Amino acid sequence: MGLRLKILSGFLALALMLFLAGIWSIYELSAIGDSGQKLLRENYRSIQAAKMMLESLEREDSAILLLLLGKWQEGRTILNAADSSFNAALQMAKNNLTIPGEQAYTDSIARRYKIYKSLWEKPVVSTYKEGNLDWYFREVHRAFLNTKAAVNSLMEVNSSAMYNTATEVRERANRAITPGIIAMIAALVFSLLFNFFINYYVVSPVIRITRGIKQFLEEQRPFDVEVESHDELKELGNLVMTLVSRAGKPRG
Amino acid sequence: MRLHVIFRYTGYILVLNALAMLLCAAVSLLYAERAFAILLYSGFVAALFGVFPLIFVPPTENITNNEGLIILVASWLVSCLLGALPYVLWGAEFTFTNAWFESVSGFTTTGSSILTDIEAVPKGILFWRAMTHWIGGMGIIIFALSILPFIGESARVLYQSEMSPLAMDNFQIRAKQAVRILAIVYLGLTVSETILLMIFGMNFFDALTHAFATVSTGGFSPKNASVAHYHSLPIEMVVMVFMILSGIHFGVLFSAVAGNFRSLFNSPFVRYYLISMGIGILLSAAGLYGSQYDNFPEALRYAAFQIASVGTSTGFATADSAVWPALSQVLLIFFTLQCACAGSTSGGIKVDRIVLLGKAFRRQMKQLQHPRGVIPITLAGRSIGKEVVESAILYIAIYLAVVFIATLLLIAVGTEALEAFSGTAATMGNVGPGLGKVGSLGNFSHISTAGKWIFSVVMLLGRLEIYALIMFFIPRHWKMYSTF
Repeated sequence: MGLRLKILSGFLALALMLFLAGIWSIYELSAIGDSGQKLLRENYRSIQAAKMMLESLEREDSAILLLLLGKWQEGRTILNAADSSFNAALQMAKNNLTIPGEQAYTDSIARRYKIYKSLWEKPVVSTYKEGNLDWYFREVHRAFLNTKAAVNSLMEVNSSAMYNTATEVRERANRAITPGIIAMIAALVFSLLFNFFINYYVVSPVIRITRGIKQFLEEQRPFDVEVESHDELKELGNLVMTLVSRAGKPRG
Repeated sequence: MRLHVIFRYTGYILVLNALAMLLCAAVSLLYAERAFAILLYSGFVAALFGVFPLIFVPPTENITNNEGLIILVASWLVSCLLGALPYVLWGAEFTFTNAWFESVSGFTTTGSSILTDIEAVPKGILFWRAMTHWIGGMGIIIFALSILPFIGESARVLYQSEMSPLAMDNFQIRAKQAVRILAIVYLGLTVSETILLMIFGMNFFDALTHAFATVSTGGFSPKNASVAHYHSLPIEMVVMVFMILSGIHFGVLFSAVAGNFRSLFNSPFVRYYLISMGIGILLSAAGLYGSQYDNFPEALRYAAFQIASVGTSTGFATADSAVWPALSQVLLIFFTLQCACAGSTSGGIKVDRIVLLGKAFRRQMKQLQHPRGVIPITLAGRSIGKEVVESAILYIAIYLAVVFIATLLLIAVGTEALEAFSGTAATMGNVGPGLGKVGSLGNFSHISTAGKWIFSVVMLLGRLEIYALIMFFIPRHWKMYSTF
C-alpha cells in the first residue's frame, strides 16, 4: 500500500469512528425525545383521567351523604355534575388505551360504576333510604370503594408504565453518551497508535535517509539505509542507494 | 522487543474478534434487536484497531519467544477490553467494571457472571457472551492460528507461547498439525453437542450457546437457572458427557476418535481424571442422599452433574450447591482446585500436575527407605525429568499462594470469607461458581468494585498459567529497539 493511502486510511478511520458515534448519539437522543413525548402522550393522560374519576367519585359520595340528610336539591346538583365529569374522564381513558390489557381496567371501572350509579340514581330523599346509614354502608359505600379500587388499578398500571418509560429514557440517555465517550477514548488511543506508525515508518526512515546522504556527502561513508516498509520510502531509499553508487565509489 | 511486531500480531487477534462481533450482530439482526447497532459498532472499533497495524507493519516471519509471550498477554488483555464494549454500550446492569468482569470471565472461560437477569439481555449480546467462551476456550492465539493460517512461520512461536508445556508434551508433532487437531476436535465436539441438544428439545440458539459454553468448559448459559432451566435428564446427560470429554487432552481424544480407543485409557492422566471424578461423584451422592434428596438415583444425578461441571471447570448448574452438606462442598472445592487434563479447554491446577505430585510423593517415600537408591519417576513406562516434576510442584505451590493472597485481598475489600476463598478458587481455576452467594445458582453482582477487579486479575492469572501475565508486567521484558 502506498504512503498516501496509508496516511489517508488513518485519518479516514478516525473520521469514520467519530461520524458513526455521532450518528448513533443523534439516533439515541432523538429516541429519548420520542420516549419523553410518549410518556406525556400516553401514560400521563390516563393518570390525569384516573385522578378526575377519583375526584368525581369523592364528590358523588359527599352528594349521597347530602341526600341521606334529606337535602335533595344540593345533592342532585352535585351528583349530576360529578357524574358528567366522571363519564368524561372515563371516556378520555377509553380513548387513550396504550398499555396491553388496559381496556380490561376501563371495562372494570365502567362495570363497577354502573352498579354504584344504580344505587343512587333512584330516589333517596323521602324514601326508606333517607337517614339510613345501614343502607349506605352495606351497599353504597361498598360499591363506591369497589369503583375507586378499579380506578386506582388503572392509575397504578399507568404509573408503572410511566416509571418503565422513565427508566428507558435514562438508559437511552446513557446509551447516547456512551458511544461518544468510547469514540473519544478510541480516537485518542488510535491517534497515539497512528503517531507511532507515522514516526516509525515515515519520519524515522526519512531521517535515516537524510542522515545517510549527509554522511555520504560529508564523510564519504557508504549509504546503507534499510527501510522496512514496502512503499514510496523504500523506493526512495533504493533510488538514493543507486544514485550514490553511481556518483562514485565511496571511501571506507 | 519490537513494538510494531507486537501490534501486528495483536492486530490479527483483534480482526478475529471483530469478525466474531459482526457474526453476533447478524444474530441480533435476525432477532430484530437494538443490540445490532451495538455489536456492529463494537466490531467496527475492533476491526479498526486490528486492521490498521496490518496496513502499516510489514509481515515478520521470525518473532522471539519473549515477543511471543508479550503478544500472548497483549492479545488476551486487548480482547477482554474490546470484548467488554458490547456490554458497556448495552448498559443496564453493565457498568464498566461489570462489563470488564463479564468479558474476562467469558474469554478465560470462567463463567462467573454479574448478571442477575440473564434473560433480559438481548440474544445478540448473549451470543457474544457465549462466543467469548468459544474463542477463549481453545486459547485466543490458537483459535486465531486455526482460523488465520496465513500467519506463517511465526505460528510456531505463538503456539508455544499459548500452549501449556504440560499439554505440548502429549503433542509430539509440529505446531501446525497440533493446531489442526485441536481445531478438528473443538469443532467436532461443538457440532455434535449442538445436534444432540436440539434432538432433546433445545432450540438452535440455546443449543449452540450451550455447546459453546460446554466445549470451552466456560459455563455461561443464556438462562437464569442455567441447565436447571430445562428440567430434562437427557439434556443434563448430553451436557455432562460433553463436559467430561472437553476435559480430556484433545490429542488423546483425537487419537481415540481416529480409532485408537485404547489411548484414552493408556494415558495415566486420563485414567486418574476419570477415576477421581467417579469416586468424587459417588462420595458426593452419598453425602447428598438423605440430607438433600430422598432417593439415591436423584442424589447421584445432581452430584454427577455438579462434580462433572466443577471438575472440568465448566460451571453449569442443575442444583444449588450452596445448600449442600459439608462433605459435598469440600469435594466441590477439591475439584475446583484440581480440574481436568492439560491440553483440554479446562483450567485449574490440572490432573497432570496432581499425578506428578503424587508420583513425586511416592518417590520421596521410597527415597527415605533407600537413601542411596536412584529412584526415577515414570509415567506410562517413560521416565520423567526432574525439572518437569519440580516445575509441576512449583506451579501448584504458586497457584495455591495466589489463591491465598487473593482471598486475603478480597476479605480486605469486604468480601465474606467463604465467598472470597471459594470465589478465588473458582475464578483461578476458571470454574465459575464458588460457594455462598457466588454459588452455582448465584452470581457476583453483589461483590464490590475492587473485589470484581481482583477476581478478574485472578481469572487472567489462572488462564495464562500465572507466569506469562507476571512477565508481561515486568518492565525488563519490554526492552525495545534503540529507535524506540
